[in-house]
Amino acid sequence: MEIEVLQDRLAKALNAVSRVAASTKAGLPILSNVLLRAEDNQLTLTATNMEMATVQYVNAKAKKNGTITVPAKLLAEFVSNLPKENVLISTKDEKLTISAGKYKSTINGILADDYPELPKINEKEAVTFKINVDIFKEAVNEVIIASSNDTTRPALTGVYFNTFEGSLYIAATDGYRLADKKFVDKVKSEIKAIVPTNALQEVIRSITDSMDEIEVLITDSQIRFRMGEIEITSKLIDASFPDYRQLIPKDCKNIIELDKAELIRMAKVAALFARDSGGSIVCEANKKESTFSISAVASELGENTAAMEAKVSEDGKVVLNSRYLLDALNSIIEGKITFGLSGKLAPVIIKNAKSDDYTHIIMPLKS
Amino acid sequence: MPNEWQSVLDEIKNNVSEMAYEAYFVRFNFVSNENDTLIASVPNVFIKAQIEGKYHNAVLDALKSSKYKFKDFKVIIDNKDNKTTVKRAVEITPDNTPVSTFSKKIIIPTPNYDSKRLSSDGNGLNPKFRLSNYVVGSNNDLAVSAAHAVIENPGMRYNPYFIYGGPGLGKTHLIQAIGNEILARNPDMNVLYVTIEQFYHEFVEAMRKKLDGFSEKYRKVDVLIIDDFQFIANKEKSQDEFFHTFNELQQHDKQIIVASDRLPAQIATIDERLASRLMMGVPIDIQMPDFETRCAILKSKAELLGAEIDDKTVEFIAENVRNNIRDLEGKLNQILALAELRGVPAYELIDDSYITQSNIQTKRKTISVKQLIDKVAKYYNLSSKDLLGTSRIKNIKTARQISMYLMKEELGLSTVEIGRELSKDHTTIMHGIKVIKNNLKTDFNLREQITDLRQKIYTS
Repeated sequence: MEIEVLQDRLAKALNAVSRVAASTKAGLPILSNVLLRAEDNQLTLTATNMEMATVQYVNAKAKKNGTITVPAKLLAEFVSNLPKENVLISTKDEKLTISAGKYKSTINGILADDYPELPKINEKEAVTFKINVDIFKEAVNEVIIASSNDTTRPALTGVYFNTFEGSLYIAATDGYRLADKKFVDKVKSEIKAIVPTNALQEVIRSITDSMDEIEVLITDSQIRFRMGEIEITSKLIDASFPDYRQLIPKDCKNIIELDKAELIRMAKVAALFARDSGGSIVCEANKKESTFSISAVASELGENTAAMEAKVSEDGKVVLNSRYLLDALNSIIEGKITFGLSGKLAPVIIKNAKSDDYTHIIMPLKS
Repeated sequence: MPNEWQSVLDEIKNNVSEMAYEAYFVRFNFVSNENDTLIASVPNVFIKAQIEGKYHNAVLDALKSSKYKFKDFKVIIDNKDNKTTVKRAVEITPDNTPVSTFSKKIIIPTPNYDSKRLSSDGNGLNPKFRLSNYVVGSNNDLAVSAAHAVIENPGMRYNPYFIYGGPGLGKTHLIQAIGNEILARNPDMNVLYVTIEQFYHEFVEAMRKKLDGFSEKYRKVDVLIIDDFQFIANKEKSQDEFFHTFNELQQHDKQIIVASDRLPAQIATIDERLASRLMMGVPIDIQMPDFETRCAILKSKAELLGAEIDDKTVEFIAENVRNNIRDLEGKLNQILALAELRGVPAYELIDDSYITQSNIQTKRKTISVKQLIDKVAKYYNLSSKDLLGTSRIKNIKTARQISMYLMKEELGLSTVEIGRELSKDHTTIMHGIKVIKNNLKTDFNLREQITDLRQKIYTS
């Protein structure tokens, strides 16, 4: 291989692939390498941890095509420290020589033949859709917070892509809270797929300002995201996701519209006093005084109450984990939210006041 | 069947490299036989691709030499084995995972910033401080989640972002990380990090030489990060200037980030207007990390240093260094250096006199009642005789009650035992502890003093 690329382009691509290479759990040493392929004036960088793979394409001047694999982290760190110039890469057998300006290094690699093949995706069989990157990012951030990292329940460690009444929804839950978002309108196909949280985080991380749309391809065993010069493919989690729609209360007695920033402030303050009690804070709606208040008691430190004006149709009280409430509020971009309070033991429903697309449910704590 | 299948696996093992076998075939399971075609399962699509592609022939060969009469094989995906994944208390996860209080995370730093640009800008930020290498625990999770909100929308939420806590607990790291993350997302933003000392010196310089541009420099930034704010005490002119800068920035929704070792109200001679403005964005305290977080911090530091460290050593350091993170790091470096020097694994040094003698703190239980009383007495400029005596002078009485409280809380003594030590009835002790507990709820000064005393108890 003999190829010339721009330092900043290469550094960016290497950073992204080295993240994936570094996360490898399988014991194969070659997986911590990045596969470089020079072909038709393009340099392709590939890394996989055998659960997901990322492929990055970088424009380059290829004088001689070829392939090699080298340790991803070392190469990424070396390139990111190089001056902003053209970087020359050449290979001889299992050695890669890379130089820019006065810097030059030779890295021992492994022949590309030993690198695992990536699963192919049959584009004709795959369900595909395109989505604006900003909408994608917002929606995924809104639900991903509710996913679990308890690997004994694999279904909950991902985000559930599912179609319902002709629209695509994404949902996640850890058993204590649940987030559901309408993702794409008018989808003809039927989709039920659990996408690993790590893969979605990698996609979100790889989004840059210059990107416009993400193309998503889903088959029954894998999902692929294409955006700009990046392609991320992940396995799907082969488990069944709970029938979560059953968990969303159909009606709610008491829906209170609140200012999000104010509510966050109140919850934060209360959280300071809720540390000893595992974060439990009391949310209370008072009809007579038209207030919504949050309070917390710490047996050692003292107690705290904060209230704001609110239109309340009936009295109600519920104990929540402050962390869950704050996570839910922080994931919503809109400034006004609704707080659905049905009773002491009923789940609380938090929604964006302006649209019905997003639902976040928090189970109350027993008090 | 199982024996027969095992012989197929053994045959595959002979045909492929050991690593490849470990990576791809350990969960290659027999499912069924359909018209002389073997159906076998693997955990995921990536492994399926390897077996169907690269190892197709290896599997066919193995099948041929077995007693099975399969002509071909098919691979399906099965995920049941996921249940066997070992759950670890401390997870290592990639960068930027949402912060959760339910499991502690060590986050591996990735060199994904352009270090040159950050350092050459003169914005005062050290590019090494990132959120990705900041260990989150229950002591600072609130501060970190607020930090995320600030990074997402600078100037919108938590303005000012005010954190306070004792020295060496990671305030500087956190506020610098916020600056770095904001810059990484919005390279055009004008971010400025200064300590209040720098601010003061520049201000004095500007006044002395009658220079213009001081106000402009500070008022045109998008994000102003002020460290060591407590040193503004007794600098009235600077306070004034800072107050106006603050107002100007806040009116224009510019983000202000402040770290201090105490609350504004506790800073001597601070202007009340300024103190109340700083309290507007909800002050958040950073506390001493708990044992598990200390372990996590040590592991992440060791990782940054590229050093191997065993759990025993980590726990030893975490157990013994309790007062701040800087000391935690110091002790880790010391042990690692000594281990390298002597060419022995770190855990062998745990009982080494060099390590145990040099400035390591006494463990919880090893401080005696007498030492505790001495410390309290010294702190309040009294003698231990005063505390053990019967004087009813107010400050002596309070100090005595504080020592009762600390004996209960820190030494775990019962009221009867404390009574014996101080030659008092146990009901007197109960009353004394109750008084302190009640006052703690309202008296900020008392809280400070008790925190100080706790530190003193464990630091010498």
